[in-house]
Amino acid sequence: METIIRTSGLTKIYGTQKAVDNLAMHVKQGQIYGFLGQNGAGKTTTIRMLLGLIKPTDGQIEIFGENLLARQKEILRRVGSIVEFSGFYMNLTASENLLVNARLMGVHKRRAIDEALEIVGLQHETKKRVGKYSLGMKQRLGIARAILHHPELLILDEPTNGLDPIGIKEIRKLIRSLAEERKITILISTHILSEIEQLADVIGIVHQGRLLEELEMEDLGKRNRKYVEFHVSNDNKAAMLLEQYFHTYDYEVQGEGIIRVYSHIGQQSGINKLFVESGIEVSGIAMSENKLEDYFVQLIGGGTIG
Amino acid sequence: MVNLLYTELLKLKRAKMLLVSLIGASAAPLMVFIGFLDLKVKKPDSAVHYEEVFYNTNLYVLLLIGTLLYGVITAYIFNREHEEDTLKNLLTIPVSRTGLIVSKLVLLFFWIMLLTIAAWALTLALGLIGQFEGLSAGVLLTSFKQFIIGGSLLFLLSTPTMFITFLFRNYVPTIIFTAAITMGNVALANREYKALNPWSAVQVIANYEPVPQYPLYYSYIAILLVAAAGFLATVIYFRRLDIQ
Repeated sequence: METIIRTSGLTKIYGTQKAVDNLAMHVKQGQIYGFLGQNGAGKTTTIRMLLGLIKPTDGQIEIFGENLLARQKEILRRVGSIVEFSGFYMNLTASENLLVNARLMGVHKRRAIDEALEIVGLQHETKKRVGKYSLGMKQRLGIARAILHHPELLILDEPTNGLDPIGIKEIRKLIRSLAEERKITILISTHILSEIEQLADVIGIVHQGRLLEELEMEDLGKRNRKYVEFHVSNDNKAAMLLEQYFHTYDYEVQGEGIIRVYSHIGQQSGINKLFVESGIEVSGIAMSENKLEDYFVQLIGGGTIG
Repeated sequence: MVNLLYTELLKLKRAKMLLVSLIGASAAPLMVFIGFLDLKVKKPDSAVHYEEVFYNTNLYVLLLIGTLLYGVITAYIFNREHEEDTLKNLLTIPVSRTGLIVSKLVLLFFWIMLLTIAAWALTLALGLIGQFEGLSAGVLLTSFKQFIIGGSLLFLLSTPTMFITFLFRNYVPTIIFTAAITMGNVALANREYKALNPWSAVQVIANYEPVPQYPLYYSYIAILLVAAAGFLATVIYFRRLDIQ
């Protein structure tokens, strides 16, 4: 798979503070890349550097295999973006705001603006001035503006900032459909774990300006599989009973007397009954909790995300 | 550049600032008109000449109202993208930073010209109402030329105001700056140094009133130096600016 965004040694220093520190990011074609970190972790600074709004102190940025600083104009014409809250000319309507972009981007197709508004569901709000739009409508209009010129890459910085749960859900659905139907590579930054969990194919975790890890959601899913943990007097016998009566090998003996069963979630009472009737003492049963958040917290060394 | 200019004009659609600025530009002709009407009431035998009315109106525009009003318009045009948070969108389209400044300057030039012509036309119209004397093609042409030269030179001097707007991203420092310039204009109005102060030198050039101590080209140099310095400072600063 082609790498669409690649940064190496990307650094931004303000005074004595490193806002972004030696960051190496890899976003591959067709992926939804979740850029996750606490507020102030360096997400927005990184994204602004990717969009040429901030000049890096050091490091390289390659987008579509080309150096951003050398070919910024050509590269950014293939990119759509939202940086935090979308700014608009409040005295203009949605169509007029998009017309500004269309003219400057050389989008001459007559229907392009209407199509973009239709995609985000604002086709019936074209006469209203943007100054009268709600925050959710403005964010949707921001997406319409970002996709107006059919970009190959979308860079969205906290696109659900300030939205209510319904608004968040709508934007999430929209982003997912853009990735699936238009095959757009999407980089989305957020500090909300639950938001990215449902959307991203890959997650990059940034903390104090450093990219701690890039991992596929599939791998993360494996690490985060639900299980029922039994504390038993005889783990060998328990394992044998699981195989014999429940026909499962999807379990792990974690240590002496601890066995984790990944299948048959919800049947813990039946498993417990089998163990007890077979003479195994069960001293404890526990369901796995949301280890995903724990994983992030552990990775960033405490604190919380989202 | 054509597209940039088109979008700059589009951004003004429904903007109240255009109307507000036209009202502002009408202040000088109205003030002068009222002044001469008062004179006519007090001295009914004295004639009011168009030449004098145009001269006085242009003087008020160049030294007082124009400096302030054009300063506010400059701040509006250049600060708007910051204030409405649209700059990051424009720069990621991407639009060249220098191109953006130039397109806004072109818009500013046309705006100043519109206000200048509006002030001139209103002076003419009010004169017709007040039945002022001495209206001739020569007077009209000369006064129009003086208004246009004055407006153009004030446009050139908008670059320092533009720089201050970029630097502070706020209307207040710009207003303070233009108020200080206006005070300087008033203070130097009857002194020979008015030929050296770029903002009062505008009136010296526009009305062709050189002072004996300093040749007219001193005034041109002062204006061009300040205009170039303001433009270069803005371009250099803006090109290096991180958009937060």
